[in-house]
Amino acid sequence: MKPEQIVEATLFASQTPLTTSEIARADDELSTAAVSDAIQALREAYEAEERAFQIYELGDGFQILTRPEFASYLERFDSVARSPYLSGAALETLAIVAYRQPIGRIEIEEVRGVGASSVLRTLTDWELVEVVGRGEGLGRPLLYGTTRRFLEHFGLRDLDELPSPEELPVVLAGLEEDASDAEPDAAEAPTEAGA
Amino acid sequence: MILATPTERTANTPRGKSPLEGVEPFLVELDRFQGPLDLLLHLIRAQDIDIFDIPIAHITRQFQTAIAEGLDDMPLERAGEFLEMAASLVRIKAQLLLPRPEKLDWEEDPRAELVRRLLEYEHFQDVVHVLERAEAQRGRHFGKGYVPDRPAPEGMRPELAVDLADFLEAASRIPEPPPPVRVRAPTKSVTVAEKVSLVRRLFEKAKRIAFERLFEPWGTRAHATAAFLAALELARQQVLRIEQSKPFAPIWLFAGGWIAATRGSGEGPDHGADGSGDANRAGDIEP
Repeated sequence: MKPEQIVEATLFASQTPLTTSEIARADDELSTAAVSDAIQALREAYEAEERAFQIYELGDGFQILTRPEFASYLERFDSVARSPYLSGAALETLAIVAYRQPIGRIEIEEVRGVGASSVLRTLTDWELVEVVGRGEGLGRPLLYGTTRRFLEHFGLRDLDELPSPEELPVVLAGLEEDASDAEPDAAEAPTEAGA
Repeated sequence: MILATPTERTANTPRGKSPLEGVEPFLVELDRFQGPLDLLLHLIRAQDIDIFDIPIAHITRQFQTAIAEGLDDMPLERAGEFLEMAASLVRIKAQLLLPRPEKLDWEEDPRAELVRRLLEYEHFQDVVHVLERAEAQRGRHFGKGYVPDRPAPEGMRPELAVDLADFLEAASRIPEPPPPVRVRAPTKSVTVAEKVSLVRRLFEKAKRIAFERLFEPWGTRAHATAAFLAALELARQQVLRIEQSKPFAPIWLFAGGWIAATRGSGEGPDHGADGSGDANRAGDIEP
């Protein structure tokens, strides 16, 4: 079997992102480097063949997902439980945790001006944040950080993909421009592997 | 880069545009705001107020008006958060009224801390927009298992740990269906006349008849009714007399009516022969 075929079979059968080392377990002679090469080759092949799916990089893993231009067709099956869009409170809290981690509950509440214990509990239950340590202060408060699942939920490869505070105004200007565009097709939401 | 791409999700609110834009800034629905900072920032941005020179008296009044409506319906904790901000605003307002040097360092401005918090909050609102966009983009990609499985019929959810042998074995335990019961529907009901002739035939062999013999072998209510009416009719015609020693004791029919019994025997049968014509037709009995 060619390495590409083994990697393709493994990715095809998985419902979650797989790291290169997880994929490499499929065959004794498969190295993580070979897996990376195979993913790159598959991606180019899918692109050339205009497949309806592509290999995307989410967190530190890879997953076969449909291309965004097929969303309108697939959304017709929307009777399925999907991860729901997050509430404003959840997004606010995640934004603060993502940029300030590790961060305690009190500090989150100071930024938001409102309580954060219940939303932190929800985000912990959803595995979007996790306790990453304890602070030095009184009572050694729990410190929170974002998870791999957080990256997967937002289609991010890593946290560096979030704009820095300096980049933020530029990115936002881009978003507002995009919002006026009707055609969303060129979107490549989850970071395309190797891009 | 995922953030530089457009999306069809337009639900999020770009910075500076509030869902209440164009609406009087006083008329705000508190439910739409995450908290007091969100509301305050909205009041400032919606009126194009310079955030580094907030007219505290003006903003405080608007803030108080905005929360006055919704405060009663709020959970205590949330109400407390808004009230705390209202108190802070009043405190800043008071501090501004105190005499102070002409030139004030920004650090000494009582508003400085509030402005810092507002700007920080606004920064994270921007991040929220970025995350919302990323989330919407991610939502346009679908992985394995998204399209639902063919739904199983209700009641089939439990695991089926059964093979064909089990099924056949279970099937073999089902008893043979019993042979169909033949039900004979009576083509006609029994008539009183038939009972009358039965009584006459029995009297040819015996002087007395147990009343039950007239209907018990058939076991139906129609036979009992017909027998009863026949006995009454024949008693009226002096063909027989009915005797019962005490309530619920067996009823006996004796050949010959009461008249015959008192006058002597011999007349009864003649009477009976006369009356038989009437009694032979069902329903002919007089009430």
